[in-house]
Amino acid sequence: MAHQAHAYHMVDPSPWPLTGAVAALLLTSGTAIWMHFNSMSLMSLGMILLLLTIYQWWRDIIREGTFQGHHTPPVQKGLRYGMILFITSEVFFFLGFFWAFYHSSLAPTPELGGCWPPTGITTLDPFEVPLLNTAVLLASGVTVTWAHHSIMEGQRKQAIQSLTLTILLGFYFTFLQGMEYYEAPFTIADGVYGSTFFVATGFHGLHVIIGSSFLAVCLLRQVQFHFTSKHHFGFEAAAWYWHFVDVVWLFLYISIYWWGS
Amino acid sequence: MSSATLVARRVLAAAASHGAEEAGAKTWKILTFVLAFPGVGVCMANAYMKMQAHGDHQPEFLPYSHLRIRTKKFPWGDGNHSLFHNGHTNALPDGYESSEH
Repeated sequence: MAHQAHAYHMVDPSPWPLTGAVAALLLTSGTAIWMHFNSMSLMSLGMILLLLTIYQWWRDIIREGTFQGHHTPPVQKGLRYGMILFITSEVFFFLGFFWAFYHSSLAPTPELGGCWPPTGITTLDPFEVPLLNTAVLLASGVTVTWAHHSIMEGQRKQAIQSLTLTILLGFYFTFLQGMEYYEAPFTIADGVYGSTFFVATGFHGLHVIIGSSFLAVCLLRQVQFHFTSKHHFGFEAAAWYWHFVDVVWLFLYISIYWWGS
Repeated sequence: MSSATLVARRVLAAAASHGAEEAGAKTWKILTFVLAFPGVGVCMANAYMKMQAHGDHQPEFLPYSHLRIRTKKFPWGDGNHSLFHNGHTNALPDGYESSEH
């Protein structure tokens, strides 16, 4: 049987990058078709394919790393670089929406009444639910750090408890934000105020859901003994992502909810 | 050595020996229950009380042309309601849907 003379991971051929790309194409074109021709077929197909790709690709990575030992230190270093680069790209993604917000709010046009918030917009009180949301996410940052230290110290039960608390806080944020969306006296169709508000906070909310899912997968893996006190990069990646989501919220809160009110 | 320097050395020594615990799981567990959760609790109480104070307020409807844009129909329902439409607080381009609150 042949053995490799290096510490790197030569990945076996996999269909998931292709199915992922096809899913992306179906989702984008499908959404356009839904908006113009009233058919959800392509978009739904894309969504199903995306979910199948996500499940199977990451299942394979877990198999390769946790069960087959392919994630040696240099490989793990590469994964770290990868996650950092990905989060950096997400920072730029949100930067665009903040640019749009400041572009419109720093020099409000005459059509809006020459002021920000625009005439006729009743903003949300930043010291009500938005402040609670801030406390919830900051608290989840504390609990996820508790979880990390618990894993590093081999404290299995505490790791499970703190990770569960983190996920519950994430759900609570999503629930509160959903309620805010329903109760808000303005909608996405209310000019550039509505557009910037709901697109920026909406994408953030999506990232909270993604982050919560990532943490939930980590919880399942922790329960199933995947993580060791020295090797738990999946969890670290989830925690980094979660802190990023928290920081984006802080910028949203200060810019849109507080300064913009 | 001056007394101020001696005091400073004692404080730093105390901090260093406490830091030997290296901010472990125990520390973050304490922070969770002493700082994080009470903070959330206070904000929950505050939000609840503020909501009770101003209750059901329906903003006055003024038919501004820069709001309630309908350049393109929404791809659901009758195309005239946003995704999180709330009949009580969100007016349609012609006004609120019903006169009841």
